[in-house]
Amino acid sequence: MPVLAPLKEVADIIKEAGGEELKLCYQCGLCTGVCPWNTVRSFLVRRIMHQAQLGLVDFEDEDMWLCVTCRACVERCPRSVGILDVMKAMRRGITELGIAKVPDSLRITIKNISGTGNPLGEPPENRANWAKDLDIKEYTEGTEWLYFTGCMASYDPKLQRIPRAIVNLLKKAQVDFGILGNRETCSGESVRKAGDEQLFQTLAQTNIDTFTELGVKKIVTTSPHSYHTFKNEYPELDGNFEVIHYSRLLAELIKEGRLKPTKELNKKVTYHDPCYLGRHNGIYDEPREILHSLPGIELIEMPRSQENSLCCGGGGGGIWMETKKGERFADIRLEEAIETGAGTLAVACPFCMSMFEDSVLSLDKGDIIEIKDIAELIQEVI
Amino acid sequence: MEDNTRIGVYICHCGSNIAGTVDVKEVAEFAQGLPSVVVAKDYIYMCSDPGQSMIKEDIKELGLNRIVVASCSPTLHEHTFRRACQDAGLNPYLFEMVNIREHCSWVTEDHDAATEKAKALVNAAVRRVYYHEPLEIREVPVTPSVMVVGGGIAGIQAALEIANSGHKVYLVEREPSIGGHMAQFDKTFPTLDCASCIFTPLLSAVGQHPYIELLTYSEVEEVSGYVGNFKAKIRKKARYVDISKCTGCTDCANVCPVELPAEFELGMAQRKAIYRLFPQAVPSVFSIDKRGYPPCRVACPAGVNAQGYISLISQGKFKEAIEILRETMPFPGVCGRVCTHPCEVDCERGKVDEPVAIRSLKRFMADYELRVGREKTTPVEKTKEDRVAIIGAGPAGLACAYDLIREGYPVTVFGAAPQAGGLLRYGIPEYRMPKEVVDNEISYIEELGVEIKTNTPVKNLEDVFNQGYEAIFLGTGAGISQKMGIPGENASGVIHALDFLRQVNLRVKVELGERVAVIGGGNAAVDAARVAKRLGAKEVSIVYRRSRAEMPAVATEVDEAEQEGVGIHFLAVPVSVLSKDDKLTGIQCIRMELGEPDASGRRRPIPVKGSEFNMDIDNVIIAIGQTVDRAMLPKELEYTSWGTLSVDPVTLKTNIEGVFAGGDVVAGPADIIGAIAAGKEAAISIERYLEGVDLKEGRPTPVKQVKEVPKEGVEIKARSTMPVLELEKRKGFAEVELGFDEKMAIEEAKRCLNCGVCSECLECIKACEPQAINHEMEDEIIEVEVGSIIMATGYDTFDPSVITQYGYGRYDNVVTALQFERMCNASGPTEGEIVLKDGSEPKSVAIIHCVGSRDKNYFEYCSRVCCMYSLKYSHLIKEKTNAEVYQMYLDMRCFGEGYEEFYDRLSGEGVNFIRGKVSEVTDQAISNEEKGKLIVSCEDTLLDAIIRVPVDMVILSTALAPRSDAEDVARLFNISRRADGFFRERHVKLDPVATTTEGVFVVGCAQAPKDIPDTIAQASAAAARVLAMISWGKVEIEAAIAAIDEELCSGCRICNLLCPYNAISFDEEKEVSQINEAQCKGCGVCVAACPSSAIAGKHFTTEQIMAEIEGVLI
Repeated sequence: MPVLAPLKEVADIIKEAGGEELKLCYQCGLCTGVCPWNTVRSFLVRRIMHQAQLGLVDFEDEDMWLCVTCRACVERCPRSVGILDVMKAMRRGITELGIAKVPDSLRITIKNISGTGNPLGEPPENRANWAKDLDIKEYTEGTEWLYFTGCMASYDPKLQRIPRAIVNLLKKAQVDFGILGNRETCSGESVRKAGDEQLFQTLAQTNIDTFTELGVKKIVTTSPHSYHTFKNEYPELDGNFEVIHYSRLLAELIKEGRLKPTKELNKKVTYHDPCYLGRHNGIYDEPREILHSLPGIELIEMPRSQENSLCCGGGGGGIWMETKKGERFADIRLEEAIETGAGTLAVACPFCMSMFEDSVLSLDKGDIIEIKDIAELIQEVI
Repeated sequence: MEDNTRIGVYICHCGSNIAGTVDVKEVAEFAQGLPSVVVAKDYIYMCSDPGQSMIKEDIKELGLNRIVVASCSPTLHEHTFRRACQDAGLNPYLFEMVNIREHCSWVTEDHDAATEKAKALVNAAVRRVYYHEPLEIREVPVTPSVMVVGGGIAGIQAALEIANSGHKVYLVEREPSIGGHMAQFDKTFPTLDCASCIFTPLLSAVGQHPYIELLTYSEVEEVSGYVGNFKAKIRKKARYVDISKCTGCTDCANVCPVELPAEFELGMAQRKAIYRLFPQAVPSVFSIDKRGYPPCRVACPAGVNAQGYISLISQGKFKEAIEILRETMPFPGVCGRVCTHPCEVDCERGKVDEPVAIRSLKRFMADYELRVGREKTTPVEKTKEDRVAIIGAGPAGLACAYDLIREGYPVTVFGAAPQAGGLLRYGIPEYRMPKEVVDNEISYIEELGVEIKTNTPVKNLEDVFNQGYEAIFLGTGAGISQKMGIPGENASGVIHALDFLRQVNLRVKVELGERVAVIGGGNAAVDAARVAKRLGAKEVSIVYRRSRAEMPAVATEVDEAEQEGVGIHFLAVPVSVLSKDDKLTGIQCIRMELGEPDASGRRRPIPVKGSEFNMDIDNVIIAIGQTVDRAMLPKELEYTSWGTLSVDPVTLKTNIEGVFAGGDVVAGPADIIGAIAAGKEAAISIERYLEGVDLKEGRPTPVKQVKEVPKEGVEIKARSTMPVLELEKRKGFAEVELGFDEKMAIEEAKRCLNCGVCSECLECIKACEPQAINHEMEDEIIEVEVGSIIMATGYDTFDPSVITQYGYGRYDNVVTALQFERMCNASGPTEGEIVLKDGSEPKSVAIIHCVGSRDKNYFEYCSRVCCMYSLKYSHLIKEKTNAEVYQMYLDMRCFGEGYEEFYDRLSGEGVNFIRGKVSEVTDQAISNEEKGKLIVSCEDTLLDAIIRVPVDMVILSTALAPRSDAEDVARLFNISRRADGFFRERHVKLDPVATTTEGVFVVGCAQAPKDIPDTIAQASAAAARVLAMISWGKVEIEAAIAAIDEELCSGCRICNLLCPYNAISFDEEKEVSQINEAQCKGCGVCVAACPSSAIAGKHFTTEQIMAEIEGVLI
């Protein structure tokens, strides 16, 4: 059995890096119990919290990078400990102080974002290529909405169908909106969760400056991640904007009659709650309202839904890291979706879309289930 | 036997408690078939309302006149069913209860066996109940006053509740003031309000309450009587301070020289022997802590209060110190030099390192007085008329004169020598006993008014009586040297030591040759040898027949003699004196060897054959002992076979009326302090003789010696060594030992452990303006009559030193919870500062939970308050210091209102919680970080690792333990205890306030560890129960008592003495014993003891018991 002594300095670093709340933890272990990792491998969140309390964290351990920030633990923590903040603080300690190695994939991604403003390392000037043929105006002062596309939706060819569907619908509903085009840069949400606070600060400040310069008041986002950081984290840097996730805007547009479903779909659909829309921001109803409003759609809930939803595994930098087969939450979730008998798995987050598309391919389930963004489904009936 | 006996039997299921094991239907069917049983039924809960109704209805409808219920324990429900019978018009004593739960279903899993036993018990009850007779339930009035035992928060709350309803409360507290543990607390959890702020108003309310009689420093010694009518004897311990006069000004404590660790501060501060627990104490008066005579005082034959003068020397009060000595005897300078100091032999300090140098301190006082000069003492007023003659002016006579003159008797001392002092002046050489010392001390005696007639030998006692003296003390000593009884002993040049020393002391020139041999091994021999050396003899040798170890002379004197050049021939004895022309030329000696020990305990010397040898010498000085000179004494006196005067060993009375004797004339040559003691003892006899009081009664005076002297924490410190004159300066008769200077004396005096605590220096009396102090005060016994008693005797804190692994007592900065509590308290030893022993602030603190609790090696139970006070301490540490706090816990038990919230709050304050039972606290560092720290080591069970936490301070959250005297107290109040040692409540859930004895209640931690809110609730509940009794005004008492058949009683009175409740008295007229029904508890002792079978126990008649036994067996 190892013999250890508390390292107050280390505990102080974690606390100062945003992990202050860990002192509230009374080691009940509910976090470990609810953490999805423990259905596929051991991940003793409770013990990590205790190690952090005493400054005895093993920063070299790959466990440092497992947390996908799904917030299942925080949701139920009896002492309301900001467990994700602690995880983030430890990663920040590793990244900023260089006390351990950052996984290669994550390191490269962060390097990409730092250099090009997107995780894929694509040229910034190509950011708006997805919209080339769509005749979308660049945001200018006075435009009602800024549509913030986000990196993955902008660059990943598999995901570009999401923003394309969204702008089509916005146009149909005659919403006054514009995009930033090449001036858009990464929101920094996952960068922060991956522990690079400095880069997050730079990215956020850049975005805030751009928004302010252009006189942006209202922002609609593709990604729940961008939505989350704009809404909850940018105010720390005095970036105060009215932010809305597209699902909410589209739901309103349908409600207002500005989007009128005309066709019938005849599909069995199940909906996957993205963590950053659901548990992080409490948005469970609007996506379902949309699905209910689409003619011919039968919405079947998976056993784990809303606040109990299983994460796709893409948060907290997970989307950029390799996960062993058999440990992928997206695979499990896909099976759960298939179990319901639905032929369509509806999502409302590009990260979820990406993860599930990978699972469909790797599990070879393409003929049983399709992955659709809810914007795509609306588009199909308009 | 009644023909119309109609019995109903009811079998209870007790849910599944009974029915799960016992076949209740079968038992009921069995009962149905028993003689006289009219009905037998079973029911799920007989004690319930429907169950009771069933019995009541059956009594009425079926005309039942006997009831048997087979259910649980009678302690729980006998009362319930008796009441049911009564409600239905049946005398409650026509009921019998069988316990088939504890006795059957709960003790076996064997259904058949349980059922069979249940049947047997029911059979026994049915047979017994057949013979039951209706008994009359008696009621007795309740005395509307209450005794509360224990003045902590529990007792105070109960007392106030009762007193506030206008009923008299006697609140008995054994400490000098009330308050208990709560008075020691700083803050109280979870609200963190200051304990004093919420508690002191209650203390003062108790102190001022018109209905509360506060009996502090008091203990209950005896309890008699019964519910509603108790009598208690309470010992009010002597405080030696009059409560009504003491103003609490602290002047007395300021002058008190005795300091000892303050119990209230758990030894972290000192208090005086006159003290109060804390400044806000109620009552706010002082008490003197007297633990008995210190061993030095007991060992001293004269009873000198050494602790008294030593404590004053330690304060630099030298003049006051010598006064304390003179309270007993007048020879500080003499005894300070030559006393054999039995006091030092018994000195408790010797068990730590070395005894206190008591003799040297005594001498210091005399030296100091000579140095600064002494004012003439005022003569004592002679209040008595009877004149006393003292014959002999040595230490015994002078001591006797000293005591008598101070009693007011005119005293005359007759001495044969030119000057008074006897052996002091003429037997001890000047280098050991300067003449000015003897002169000063004799002058003091003369100044008091003692008349000393020198050059006045007295041979005829008749003459003395004829001169008008009413009593005589003989202290003439043992003044002639013994002879050796060998050939040539009368040759010239052979000198006797006493003559030799006397002549030298008289400054008469003594001619000595160059070579001198001194025969003997006592002080006189050594003195003679050293004097011979000083007179110029070149070669001086001592010839002693045994070895050094057996030498009776003072060892340091022997050493000094050797250093001065005196040679010693051990194991040799002269066999003849060699002379030429009747002039000494030498001695022939023989060598000796040591055999078996003789009567004196020393090994007997045996001559070695053929080992003779010769010594050429010019003088022999014989110092082999002294004896009484009969020629100098009246002829009519009787002697012992040893040649000494024969006297009564206690009174020192001789065979002649009015003549007493003591000192060497009685004891043979002995020590001076013994002679002084004899003189003092004779003074008592003479006073009694003159006053016409019995000489023997109460003598020797019993001495209360201190029992145990605590020595923990006494630092080793060697005793001061006596400075001596350098060897080369010892030519003349200059004193060899030089005495202590003031600094040395104070330092040496501070080594005294103050065994008796109060040293009786009496300085407090001088300081106390209201004259409240009385050292003669005695304990007082008072008797109170009360209707009920509330036990609120609290708890002890567990002594963690038995868990040696935690280092308590070994490491300075391992403290108990209560010590830390005092440390946090603004009025505590550190004035609220949290500091290490060296006064610095800790940088890290560990709090170890469950020290002694939840541990079968110590106490199995949870002490219930430790988690919470540990959290409180964490908060206080965080508030007052920058220290990191670690709590090593097993489970956090924060169950009370606001408790979990407090835990949450403390987590937020950044306290580190480590789950694991600490295995060790050590100072053995294994890394640089650990150096100079206390390392607390345990398995962190949440980390799967051993964790070593280096800290500066460790707080042990010690268990709440039953009082160490709980067993005695339980016996005194006739209540019982649980296995855990606390007082047993009547029912753990249904009656946690009453004890097993009617009218005696238990509250607070005396019952079980609990927090303040629970204590208050329980105390209030007990008060409510007591008030209910008072309000009802009467209580029912047991009808099953003993009765005496006066026809059969022979009046032998055996029962009178045996009755434990004093319920039986003897009727002188009828010549029979009588039972006081109110006092009888029906125990049956008298029934069994009565030789005439005249006493019967109601409800336990022989018929009933025999029937019951038959029932079980058949």
